Amino acid sequence: MLERIPGIDRSEALRYLRIRLGAVPPELEGAFSRCEAELTETARPRTVWRLFDREADGRLAGTRFLPAGESIRRHLSGCEQVVLMAATLGSEAESLLRRAQSRSMGDALILDALGSAAIEAVCDQLCAEIAQELSPRRLTARFSPGYGDLPLDQQRELFAVLDVTRRIGVSLSESALMLPQKSVTALIGVRAPQSSYTTGREQP
Amino acid sequence: MNPSDILLLDGGMGTMLQAAGLPLGELPEVWNLTHPEAVTAVHRRYTEAGSRVLYTNTFGANRFKAARCGHPVSELIAAGVRCARQAAGPGTKIALDIGPLGQLLEPLGSLRFEEACDCFREMLLAGEAAGADLVIFETMSDLYEIKAAVLAAKENTRLPVWATMTFEKTGRTFVGVTVPAMALTLEGLGVDAMGFNCSLGPGELLPLVDELQRWTSLPLILKPNAGLPDPVTGEFKIGPEDFAAAMLPALRRGVRILGGCCGTTPDFIAALNRTLSDNSSAARPARTRSGVCSASRVAPFGGVRVIGERINPTGKKRFQQALREGDIDYIVQRAIEQQDAGADILDINVGLPGIDEPGMMTKTVKAVQAVVDLPLQIDSSDPLAIEAGLRAVNGRAIVNSVNGSDEVLDAVLPLCKKYGAAVVGLCLDGNGIPQTWQERVNIARHILDKALQYGLKKQDVLIDCLTLTVSAQQEQARETLRAVRCVSEELGLHTVLGVSNISFGLPARENVTVNFLIQAMGAGLDFPIVNPNQRAIMDAVASFRALSGEDRDCEGYIRRFAGAASAPAPAAEPGEMTLAEAIWRGLRHETAVLTGRALETRSELEVVNELLIPALDRVGDGYEKQTLFLPQLINAANAACEGFEIIKRRISERGAESVSKGKIVLATVRGDIHDIGKNIVRVVLENYGYTVIDLGRDVPPETVVEAAVREDAKLVGLSALMTTTVSSMAETVQALRRSGHACKIMVGGAVLTPEYARQIGADYYARDAKQGADIAKQVLG
Repeated sequence: MLERIPGIDRSEALRYLRIRLGAVPPELEGAFSRCEAELTETARPRTVWRLFDREADGRLAGTRFLPAGESIRRHLSGCEQVVLMAATLGSEAESLLRRAQSRSMGDALILDALGSAAIEAVCDQLCAEIAQELSPRRLTARFSPGYGDLPLDQQRELFAVLDVTRRIGVSLSESALMLPQKSVTALIGVRAPQSSYTTGREQP
Repeated sequence: MNPSDILLLDGGMGTMLQAAGLPLGELPEVWNLTHPEAVTAVHRRYTEAGSRVLYTNTFGANRFKAARCGHPVSELIAAGVRCARQAAGPGTKIALDIGPLGQLLEPLGSLRFEEACDCFREMLLAGEAAGADLVIFETMSDLYEIKAAVLAAKENTRLPVWATMTFEKTGRTFVGVTVPAMALTLEGLGVDAMGFNCSLGPGELLPLVDELQRWTSLPLILKPNAGLPDPVTGEFKIGPEDFAAAMLPALRRGVRILGGCCGTTPDFIAALNRTLSDNSSAARPARTRSGVCSASRVAPFGGVRVIGERINPTGKKRFQQALREGDIDYIVQRAIEQQDAGADILDINVGLPGIDEPGMMTKTVKAVQAVVDLPLQIDSSDPLAIEAGLRAVNGRAIVNSVNGSDEVLDAVLPLCKKYGAAVVGLCLDGNGIPQTWQERVNIARHILDKALQYGLKKQDVLIDCLTLTVSAQQEQARETLRAVRCVSEELGLHTVLGVSNISFGLPARENVTVNFLIQAMGAGLDFPIVNPNQRAIMDAVASFRALSGEDRDCEGYIRRFAGAASAPAPAAEPGEMTLAEAIWRGLRHETAVLTGRALETRSELEVVNELLIPALDRVGDGYEKQTLFLPQLINAANAACEGFEIIKRRISERGAESVSKGKIVLATVRGDIHDIGKNIVRVVLENYGYTVIDLGRDVPPETVVEAAVREDAKLVGLSALMTTTVSSMAETVQALRRSGHACKIMVGGAVLTPEYARQIGADYYARDAKQGADIAKQVLG
């Protein structure tokens, strides 16, 4: 179980800031380091996941959750099981991001980009843990509600099935957006080790 | 409840219903209507296992979830109470179970406090009408939400109120609430019992039980999970016998209301029942601590707690201007400054003739606590404003103030009782300020008596012995100090003093103020109301805490002063730098100093148009050419803001109209909660000299129209980040057009394109904040 952000990919954060340079520009180095330290110090990432069997029609066993659309169907083809996962940087980071906006909008912007990179890092780490737990079965890449034609609205079902709010403190707005904002949910396909399917790009 | 009684609660409901065939993820409350026999069967098994209190299957039966299942709240709840009642044995109590609404409240979320109260009210009325014996609010992690729930129960029903929150191992809830903050706030609001449920297993909750005992004397509830479920099997980790054994230490600590949450079954409750009957409950240790708090920070009573006085318009023209213009940001900045300077509590006073004080109080309290986590002191003489402030506070506040006259005491003390606030009592009454210390102590006694009559606790009455000006009434300084000593030593009450008034009219005021402060703290003053931005004052407090022993091992003192001698002077002179350079580099202090200098030879308008705006334009060009990046653009805008602030202050001191280049309404549209982009645009526009009316996020179309018309804004900016919310942007554009209000509309946000902006009828697409400013220039000049 994670207690801190496992490390932030700066180039990812630069991409979110639309700064097309290989490294942090020297004028921003100070602000970047300061924000990185503050975010790492403050954020308390939380994660939850659960493994489900898939029924013949694609439904998750024991639930009524049937992921809709062509893209998720393709992504999960050949998968006998599915992992539902959710991860968040937590309300501590959310408060930090909001409060920073009242103190220094420049820092807030950098924090926001670092936060986006950080939640990706948290998800990667969680997926590595899941892969280890379920080894030798193989995992597909993460697929989130709102990608492709998987409706964002199905976030609600995912939340209910995984009990996300109670387990990690993420809530869903009426318009199906997550708070804290730096949160991710996803479906991950699980394949038998000998499966010959190659769709639904697998995790490295 | 009899002090020796032990009350056995029930165990999990959701897992039991799932075993009976409820699909995972379905709303269990629907089964109250569709499968009542299955719900009653679960309740009956708990009754047979020994439960004397049954929680109804109504945890999520709120209007948000009900809307999706097609059954009204009242039916789900009435059926839930019925199912439990049918399984009840003689003497079994039915607890109306209410969980979190699932929508995050302001400031992190967009659900308003009053709307939350209304959601709970609806559930409570249905539960009481259906015959519930009490209400349990459980699994809460937001103190503001549980406050809304408890208030709704107290205001609308006669049901006894139990409240339990869910904590993590860190001793905080998901949103950062601490155990003392929960204890102080809930006891203040008048709940009948409180404790913990869900999240952790019994063993992990024990340290939190110990902490809770120190902060409340109410009966405690413990309803833990059977550990955490295994992600692969879904099984919980602790079995019935281990669970019961792990609950025993809680019983020994005096917890008397016990049960199980997720993963526990009738077997767990039966095992717990056997354990409870074999063992007797120990006496509760007494509460030892008190204080006031925000949701995440406590200012414990006992020791010097500095109350920051800067949020107050008295004698401050710039602050008065901010109040008249509704410039909440200015006020919030005063809060941040004081927290950084080391204040423990912030006084909030927004009283100014001609403004809606209760409305302003609500707004200010919400804005301040969104950014600063200090406990608050609600400062007003208007009971309506006091109540507005107390309602809006997330945590437990102090009310400033009452005095010895019964008319005031009878109006304000009931509010303190209802909201659980501490109160400042001024040693004056209808006859004015008594000249002798004995008479002031007599008034203090009267205030204490009345407070106790109204049900306040002695430790929550803070007496202000009143500071008079030493240059006008020299002998009064000693009277005040004697009164402080007597109130503190003989009445045993905490004392408050507004310290600065002592030196009014004297040169080098700080000398006298600090000296008086030190003497007063020596006499027992523990809540000085001061300007924490004055270094000498906070230095004196730090020294006093070291000498009194409150600052253990002088740690705080050392932290404050170690290396201070070698530190560079905090505010370097800008030297030969130009104003444009200072802004380019985002240097706030230098920008302020250089603006001041420029004003020696030029008018305000000249400085704005000839220096500040061109400097910002240069920054904008640099950004377009990618020689400077967005964070720097923003920092430059913030630096320029310091320059504009100097100019505003100048103008408001002259009493003249402020310079504005025109009004712009900004909003993140309905359904969207991602507002950082809109906030960046605001900062940049403000620093170009525009007046921005920022409506926030998740804003309905009609609110945008209403604001645009009211403010006669010629430009409206809308932001949406998600594909799903662009449609509500289109609706907002249509609503603005339909209203007939003549204005230009600019739109922006991650998923928008110029084509799409045209398609939904906007006049402009703004790629970023810089373009937003260019558009404003085009539209408003």
